[in-house]
Amino acid sequence: MTEVSSKGGYLTWLRKRFPVPFAAARTWLRRFGILAQILSLAIIVAVFAIGTKGKYLSWANIQTILSLAAIPAIYAIGLHPTIILGGIDLSLQGVASLCAVFVGLLLKNQFNSNDVGLWIIPISVAIGGAAGVISGLLNTGLRIPSFIATLGMSWILYGLSVYIGKAKNVQILDERIFNAINVMVLGIPQIAILAVVITIIVQFMQNRTRFGRYMYAIGGDEVIAKQAGVKVNGIKIAVFTIAGVIYGLASLLLACRLGIATSRMGLTLLFPTITAVAVGGVALTGGIGGAKNAALGALIVTALNDGLVLMRVSPYIQQAVNGVVLIAAVALTLDRKKLGFIK
Amino acid sequence: MSDDTLLEMRQITKIYPGVVALDRVDFAIRKNEVVGLVGENGAGKSVLMKIMIGLVQPDEGTIVLRGEQTALRDPLEAIKNGIGMVFQDGSLVPNLSVAENLFLCHEAAFRKSGMLSLRAMRDTARELLTQLKLHLDVDLPVAELGPAERQMVEIARLLWLSKLYGQENPVLILDEPTTVLADSERETLFETLHELKDRASIVFISHRIQEVLENCDRIVILKDGKNVTEMPAADSRLLKVEQLMVGHSFSVDRFHQDAEWRQAEKEILRVENLSKAGLFQPLSFTVGEGEIVSLIGLVGSGKEAVCRCINGLEKADTGSIFINGRKLPSGSPGAAVKAGIGHIPIDRRSEGLALMMSVAENVNLLVLNRLKTAGFLSPVREKANAQHWISECQIKTPSISTMCANLSGGNQQKTVISKWLSSRVRLLILDHPTRGVDVGAKDEIYKLIRRLAREGIGMLIMCDTLEEDIGLANRLLVMKDGRLVKEIASPPGQKPTPQDIIGLIV
Repeated sequence: MTEVSSKGGYLTWLRKRFPVPFAAARTWLRRFGILAQILSLAIIVAVFAIGTKGKYLSWANIQTILSLAAIPAIYAIGLHPTIILGGIDLSLQGVASLCAVFVGLLLKNQFNSNDVGLWIIPISVAIGGAAGVISGLLNTGLRIPSFIATLGMSWILYGLSVYIGKAKNVQILDERIFNAINVMVLGIPQIAILAVVITIIVQFMQNRTRFGRYMYAIGGDEVIAKQAGVKVNGIKIAVFTIAGVIYGLASLLLACRLGIATSRMGLTLLFPTITAVAVGGVALTGGIGGAKNAALGALIVTALNDGLVLMRVSPYIQQAVNGVVLIAAVALTLDRKKLGFIK
Repeated sequence: MSDDTLLEMRQITKIYPGVVALDRVDFAIRKNEVVGLVGENGAGKSVLMKIMIGLVQPDEGTIVLRGEQTALRDPLEAIKNGIGMVFQDGSLVPNLSVAENLFLCHEAAFRKSGMLSLRAMRDTARELLTQLKLHLDVDLPVAELGPAERQMVEIARLLWLSKLYGQENPVLILDEPTTVLADSERETLFETLHELKDRASIVFISHRIQEVLENCDRIVILKDGKNVTEMPAADSRLLKVEQLMVGHSFSVDRFHQDAEWRQAEKEILRVENLSKAGLFQPLSFTVGEGEIVSLIGLVGSGKEAVCRCINGLEKADTGSIFINGRKLPSGSPGAAVKAGIGHIPIDRRSEGLALMMSVAENVNLLVLNRLKTAGFLSPVREKANAQHWISECQIKTPSISTMCANLSGGNQQKTVISKWLSSRVRLLILDHPTRGVDVGAKDEIYKLIRRLAREGIGMLIMCDTLEEDIGLANRLLVMKDGRLVKEIASPPGQKPTPQDIIGLIV
């Protein structure tokens, strides 16, 4: 073990005096890495609980927060693996728009006679997955930086969605998924439970499979990973595909919840999703963070916005607050000393 | 060769554009021995080792492993054959834990129905480290380990891998492992190596001849990509090895000594009690007008840090720097350029030149202020200035608007030098100015350096070889372990020999 430096005063003394609980806490933190996020959530809850004289902590409001956080959390879980790789996926908005249009036109609606019923679930997921495969191939095969490849994909898919959907607002007449979203199980909205299940599955994959391990190795140092024998391109394509699949699912849920499918649905999704991922503690330099971070980040952002609504803060200033939160989160989590240049 | 030969490399040749990195080199490793591989920077040690682990393919020559001729295509194949290397800059992924790094890409042993058993991984990791007498929290990310611990983790990984693939007596290559270690850590490393000798062979690369002599069974010396000799460590003396390392091919006129400028009276740079904690101790020296002063020392001796402090890239802890008698604010690259300090970096492609800009734009970069007419850049004056310096420095370029990326290494270097020349620089720091440049272009760069000196520019240089340092410089400053240990005059006709100096730096 490296010796603890003499700097740090009281904390160092405590650490030396009581090594066991400190070591235990550190191991726990390293394994879960979400202490800062839980603390900030606690502070947000405390501030709004006082500010709204307890209304914020009512069960009805907690249900609202959980229900509202679920879909952003699923989007964030989809996007964050691409950031773990050291890249980013900006194709989210295009994928979401395209999926929404297909959901509107294939489920029972007033414009045509289509009605695929629950087959829409694999269809939407497949559309998202196909988009992810293309992004991954652009990134690895053509060696286009993920930032540009996915930004281009986003506008290509959005353009397609406007063309196919003819810029209509399609009302979804099949209400099965809408109803399923809002069913309460033990007082918790079913969609929140789904989000938790997805978090657990993805997190488990990250911790306990070779695929998950290699994802982090690439984010940590791609050259070394490659030298050790990691099939970098294959992993990257798989990660973009998984991202697309999860977007497809989240977009289906979002369209059904809104009851209206339109190509404009995707247009406001990217900023809150990246905010959630960053706030959750996924390092934008890659290699650090997991599904739990992404989900927790979405919960924090939702809890914050919900509180602002209850406090009757102007909705316009809420956007600005989210911007401040994004910059603050990156400032706190990004180890900027290790970066030579900030581009 | 005797029967216990484990691996033999025969007549290995590797040619890079402009350089013969290895010229028919032979190298053998026997069972249960520690081989020391020594040679100057650029002697070919690293290339030879990279060939041994399949990272680089030789142009000619064969590798015979355990009696069979083998071709190793990549490091993975090498490790399956029980050959692995601990690199100088490490090959562990910083954000993964010790246990995760140990088994990276070979986790199959810990899979149960598609899932990794984290407990089994941790247990095995602890067991492996305990064998090397290392007690670490195996969940710690590697980024939090010190260099000594990282080396041990890498050694443990290599040992485990060769065992996994059923290789008795693996070959471990350690590339300058001791440069990053403190004294006590160095002792521990050698103890470990001696224990490992029972079940492994070790190639030990180091610049510290003393420790090679003390810890190796046999020494192989390379110079300029050729075998010089090999001998048992027990019979060799420090001095002899050093002499063999630097060789005798010292020709007098290669560096245009007749053009050497006489020692100038007026001083340009004065450094007083400059120090930086952890990098170098307080030191003082001067550089005169038209004088070439060479900083000599191993990588890590602190000479690079001294230069970084002078050109403002790093802030010194104590001491002051004077240019023409005026004190320079510490840690400000802008102020350094303004005061007339130029810097020709070792990596000209990433630091010295804007590669995607034209020759003219690069030459004019520092003097744009002087090329203005009525407040705006004048294309006519830009062109005139660029053409002037291109012909002055004999930069061979198809046109002044050719992109620098398309020039040869030598001409790129001349472009960097002319950029500083046109800015009326007072002091120039040349960091390995001839690295990666072919012989002909080297000569032109030497001439250019002499010309700079005649124009009164003071220079601080660090060169690839001792011969170059001695040949070019008026004065030599020898650094070792962060200390300025000696100052040696090097006037034309009375130059010291590399043999005089090598003993001071290693």
